[in-house]
Amino acid sequence: MEHPGALHVRLRQAEPFPLEVDFEAPAGSVTALFGPSGSGKTTVLRTIAGLHRPPEAEVASGGQRWTDTAAQLMVPTHRRPVGFVFQDYALFPHLTVREQVALALDRPRGAPRAARVDELLRITRLEGLGDRRPGALSGGQQQRVAIARALARDPAVLLLDEPFAAVDWDLRESLRQELMALQRATSLSMVIVTHDFEDVVKLASHVVLLERGTVTAAGTVETLTASNRLPGLDRHREPAVALDARVAGHDAARQLTHLEARELRVSVPTIHSPVGAPVRIQIPAREVILANRRPEGLSLHNVLEAEVLAVEPSSHEALRLVHLVVGHTRLLSLVTVDAVQKLALAPGVPILALIKAVSVEAFA
Amino acid sequence: MDWTALGLSLRLGLVTVALLVPLSFLLARWLAFARFRGRGLVEALVALPLILPPTVVGFYLLTAFGRQSWFGRAFESLAGQPLVFSFEGLVLASLLVNLPFAVQPMQNALAAIPRNVRDAARCCGLSPLGVIRRIELPLALPGIATAVVLTFAHTLGEFGVVLMVGGSIPGETRTIAIAIYDRVQAFDEHGAGIMALVLLVLSVAALWITNAMARRMSRHT
Amino acid sequence: MIHRNDGQWSLRLVLLACLSCCVVATSAEIPGASPSAPVTAAAPLVAAASDLKFALGEIVEQFRRETGIAARVSLGSSGNFARQIEQGAPFEIFLSADEAYVRRLFDAGLTRDDGSVYAIGRLVFFVPTGSPLDPDPRLASLRRRLDGGQPGRFAIANPEHAPYGRAARQVLQALGLWNAVRPQLVIGENVAQAAQFASDGNTEGGLIAHSLALAPELGRRGRFVLVPDELHEPLRQRMVLLRNASPAAVRLYDFMHAPASRAVFERYGFALPLD
Repeated sequence: MEHPGALHVRLRQAEPFPLEVDFEAPAGSVTALFGPSGSGKTTVLRTIAGLHRPPEAEVASGGQRWTDTAAQLMVPTHRRPVGFVFQDYALFPHLTVREQVALALDRPRGAPRAARVDELLRITRLEGLGDRRPGALSGGQQQRVAIARALARDPAVLLLDEPFAAVDWDLRESLRQELMALQRATSLSMVIVTHDFEDVVKLASHVVLLERGTVTAAGTVETLTASNRLPGLDRHREPAVALDARVAGHDAARQLTHLEARELRVSVPTIHSPVGAPVRIQIPAREVILANRRPEGLSLHNVLEAEVLAVEPSSHEALRLVHLVVGHTRLLSLVTVDAVQKLALAPGVPILALIKAVSVEAFA
Repeated sequence: MDWTALGLSLRLGLVTVALLVPLSFLLARWLAFARFRGRGLVEALVALPLILPPTVVGFYLLTAFGRQSWFGRAFESLAGQPLVFSFEGLVLASLLVNLPFAVQPMQNALAAIPRNVRDAARCCGLSPLGVIRRIELPLALPGIATAVVLTFAHTLGEFGVVLMVGGSIPGETRTIAIAIYDRVQAFDEHGAGIMALVLLVLSVAALWITNAMARRMSRHT
Repeated sequence: MIHRNDGQWSLRLVLLACLSCCVVATSAEIPGASPSAPVTAAAPLVAAASDLKFALGEIVEQFRRETGIAARVSLGSSGNFARQIEQGAPFEIFLSADEAYVRRLFDAGLTRDDGSVYAIGRLVFFVPTGSPLDPDPRLASLRRRLDGGQPGRFAIANPEHAPYGRAARQVLQALGLWNAVRPQLVIGENVAQAAQFASDGNTEGGLIAHSLALAPELGRRGRFVLVPDELHEPLRQRMVLLRNASPAAVRLYDFMHAPASRAVFERYGFALPLD
């Protein structure tokens, strides 16, 4: 079933390594292709761009078919409106920044093109660097050139291959922020290959999990993190729910910001985003305390009325993962077996979820 | 000083470069980028003139293009003159003998272009021809310059094949290398010495200019 | 300005160079057009045995002075030329040092007729200054040298395709010296190269053409003596017009039969045929 504007990807191959993938990335979404090295992520990206042709593949964007092996259709890469940011940036060593970006703009010619180049350099914060060659740029600057070049194509989808892999911590954060800002400003569809789940949590709206050539899970980040159906991640990641929230209001006196994710309302230490701005929040399961009575005299700010959906075993034998729901929004709580017995937790039982303001990770 | 012979050598060098370098670029491109099973064999064939004695090459060329061959006869009926012992025959021999000098530097230069850079070019909307024009040619320029110089200089000095395929016909196939040989045999060491010096100076100049050009070009890559 | 677009500039330069190459190339494509040929009639192309180097040089110069036509002469071994002509080499006159090659071409239908004998060649034993050898008609000094145990190099033309080389071999075989001298032989590709080897001091001597030894360039480098002609098959040198001979070539051919030319041959030690 295809939705208008969506990117539809299906491919299957046996050589040089087995790979079978079928997913859809809705228009305007950020879809993360997540998996360990060698799981085939880059191959999928290259297939979308038309750089790779598996024996069986279908790639369509917004209803336009780009690849369809059954119909012998293969639109050449240079005619697909895709922007590709390679892991090693793949800048043209002999061209200046301005020339690289101009190269990717085939229209318009002349003066309007120069203006568009300037605009792209401004969006990617590269003003003043237009006459430099890649050799004279830092890693972060090079990546921004790669992004500017990709955006110059006015792409229907932006493809990024491990954009933060080769970058140090500080740069990582700022690049992530830039990419988030870019996405919000342009509503561009993005497909990001990554092996770091933090990227998924902070950036992506949808995620496709790949392991050894097959899709092990696919869906929205919210759904997958809330259901904790993330095969292969149990060892590396503690259960936590990632939610899309909005700034509902600020309390300047108490230095708190109120966030809303549908029925779920939490307060966090002040974040500097305007009211109404989207914020991604992550609530680790181990930070959620359960109570059958409203507490008093605690530093706590967030007391949520919830209902138990299910109690599941966890990686540790003495712990249980409790699935909760607040209205229609799901939440997770990691508690001891003893706690489960003490509170008589079972599906349907109403319960209070207590979360410290500090425990809510907010990514603006 | 045999100016005719010098002119002939220069003409042969220029014609060989003009015809061979563009064709070799395509061959070099194919060898650098395509993945196919017979690649090792093709590379070996291309490199063959490097190790085969010129006389062997000359012998096979005579057999293949001489009057006794269908190719030679076809050429003769079309052009009115035989292919061997003519300038055209020298050009053909020169194209074959200089193949590795033209192909290998360009192949190496092209292979050094990272695959992602070429892919990125396609992702930037460049058609295959555009990629060649805007990315491959500029980045391979030092290799192309090397190919041009090596081919030219090697052609200037070519002796064995020229002698076998061309004879030593004044004004037609008596290149300057042959002329020097002739002068020595005619006890004219003075004449031979002058021509040898001119050839030496030309070769050194050609190499010097191209090295300078290549250094300039690679400065910003 | 130069730095701004180095890649493009260099690219244009290379393209311009290739373009000019093509222009030059196409202008050079007219077969046989030599920029230095000074005459309107195409200069006749002559293939001559290399023993004729000096003799023919004079004749051709004389022809030019009288007619204004400058012939183009290639010197080499007769056998080589015969093979090249069979392969289609565009020579118009062939002066062979051995009539057998002319007959071969005549039989192949490549010549106008079977030509004419223009000279009888003679072999000489040439010894450069400073050599331990002494020129004598029956090569006694060479024999002594070979018997002595430490002989030096000896030059002859290639017996396979140079008539003077074949004659030299016949002489050495007749004198019973062939097997002994063989390891010491330096083979010239034609008799002129053999003469060069024999005279430049790198060999102890050689068997070369009389006509070459008579030239001053060689004369001042050593001494020589005629080898008796009964020791080898006669070197009947025959010249012939090839089928493609131009009118200018025919004129030259006739000129080479004129008394003035015959006198030149005689001066260079050729015996003239009795006809």
